[in-house]
Amino acid sequence: MTRTIRLAARQALLEQRSFWRSAEYALFTFAFPLMILLLIGAANVGSHLPGTDIKNTTVFVPGILAFGVIVAAYVNLGSKVAVLRHDGVLKRIRTTPLPSGAYIGGLLVSTVATAILITAATALIGWLAFGAGPRPSELLALAGGLVLGTVCFAALGLAVSSVITSAESAGPVAYASFLPIAIISGVFDPTFSGLPAWLSRLVAAFPVKALAEVLQNAYAIRPFPAWDLVNLGLWTAAGAAFAAWRFRWHS
Amino acid sequence: MTDTSVIFERPSAPEADGSAVHVRGLRMSFGGTEVLHGVDFDVRYGEVFCLLGPNGAGKTTTLEILEGFRAPTGGQVRVLGLDPAEQPARLRERAGMVLQECGFPRQVRVAELIDLWRTYYPNPRPLADLLEVVELSEVRNTQVRKLSGGQRRRLDFALALAGDPDLVFLDEPTTGFDPEARRRCWAAIENLRGLGKTILLTTHYLDEAERLADRIAILRAGRIELAGTTHEVAIRAGLATRISFTTPSALRRGQVPPPDGIDLAVRGSESVCHTGNAAMTLRLLLAWALEHRLGDLDGLAVTAPRLEDTYLQLTRDPP
Repeated sequence: MTRTIRLAARQALLEQRSFWRSAEYALFTFAFPLMILLLIGAANVGSHLPGTDIKNTTVFVPGILAFGVIVAAYVNLGSKVAVLRHDGVLKRIRTTPLPSGAYIGGLLVSTVATAILITAATALIGWLAFGAGPRPSELLALAGGLVLGTVCFAALGLAVSSVITSAESAGPVAYASFLPIAIISGVFDPTFSGLPAWLSRLVAAFPVKALAEVLQNAYAIRPFPAWDLVNLGLWTAAGAAFAAWRFRWHS
Repeated sequence: MTDTSVIFERPSAPEADGSAVHVRGLRMSFGGTEVLHGVDFDVRYGEVFCLLGPNGAGKTTTLEILEGFRAPTGGQVRVLGLDPAEQPARLRERAGMVLQECGFPRQVRVAELIDLWRTYYPNPRPLADLLEVVELSEVRNTQVRKLSGGQRRRLDFALALAGDPDLVFLDEPTTGFDPEARRRCWAAIENLRGLGKTILLTTHYLDEAERLADRIAILRAGRIELAGTTHEVAIRAGLATRISFTTPSALRRGQVPPPDGIDLAVRGSESVCHTGNAAMTLRLLLAWALEHRLGDLDGLAVTAPRLEDTYLQLTRDPP
């Protein structure tokens, strides 16, 4: 067991090193959420949610936290595994005695590290630029929400990697499968509304809005997001089950 | 080099039957179609064994079974005394595998990747030693994606060797390479042999088999056609030894009769015969030359049958 953990840590270290070595990739992964945070955040300064005294930025910043978690866990991990499979790296791993758990574990640890860094950068910039910070009493809830979100979207990332058929389409498929949902979930626009009822119900069924609401609850007082937690739990289970069922070591 | 120049050689523990790979009656079917029809062969410790055959003969399928990636439909397989389908993890600690096409992670450097691979094994070889065996010391800090095809293949070898395995599988190690890249791959394989590794390689290149292998098995259409040393394989294929000499002028002019019991073809200045028993034919020829005062037969040449002839003959005939 300790050997598996040591091997996973070693694997994660190299993953992180090669992630940062590919400067444009790392920059894009970080710059995308942070740019959106600054640009759209600036447009929301001074506004309040209609009929309340909650500042727009107070719900917008945690929305971008959710966005960053999804980019790190779902987009990055999903496309990474698809590329590793397509390039035959997973097949090569199978020729060694490395336990599969240590390898996948290493990828997950590296994913968590990326998620933590994006989250920290987003929270810090959101606080410095817009004065939007979590409620001190909800710090633990915020951490819990981030962990749940990372686990949920990492499971979904592993699941989506199995339906991506080429290295070239890995990034585009991963982004295209969640960006539209993120947009209609109001992640980029705190005052977003006016969806037809059926579309609202659909959006509520996806885990993007659920994660955003769980994190927003740690920033501003809102109804306890019980259904959102159930939603994320179900998506985690479904993603993990699909990933386990469809996982292949070769393309 | 001080600490890494020491090369530890773990003696290969001979298994009960004394062979590194033991295959008997191996059968494999895919969706009702049988592709291996009872394959038998043995690979001894310390030898380079070549599974030679045209594309589609079943070489890779055989190798995948030995590597534990596929369970055979029938037959008996032992690799280093283990059942590959039942004990793949234990096998992989002691057997290195170079598959036909396998990628490397992007954005990693040569030495970094080999070092990572070394952590997967209980008794890894020293890094500097691995780099040296595959002749990649100069590019140790190069990013893997910048390597040439031949260098990448040698990096494959280094990764397969990282755990200091007793046995190395190489699946078509030089397919698609230019002559220079092939030459350097062969040099690396000969370095592996120098370390005392048992090597099982597949190829459809004759010159590769002839150059590298101690013993060869020719696999065609899911059957072993022939097995043995290069020389034995050629002989067992029933190929004749060729004996030739400069036609004596007396023979050409019809002043002496042709030798009895020899199917001699006089082709102008050269006389040629083919025989399955070179010693007997030579004795007859020399006795005939002595009797007719033809001297020692100028230009006498005895040519052993070549593997290439065997291979071409076998693969030309329909199965």
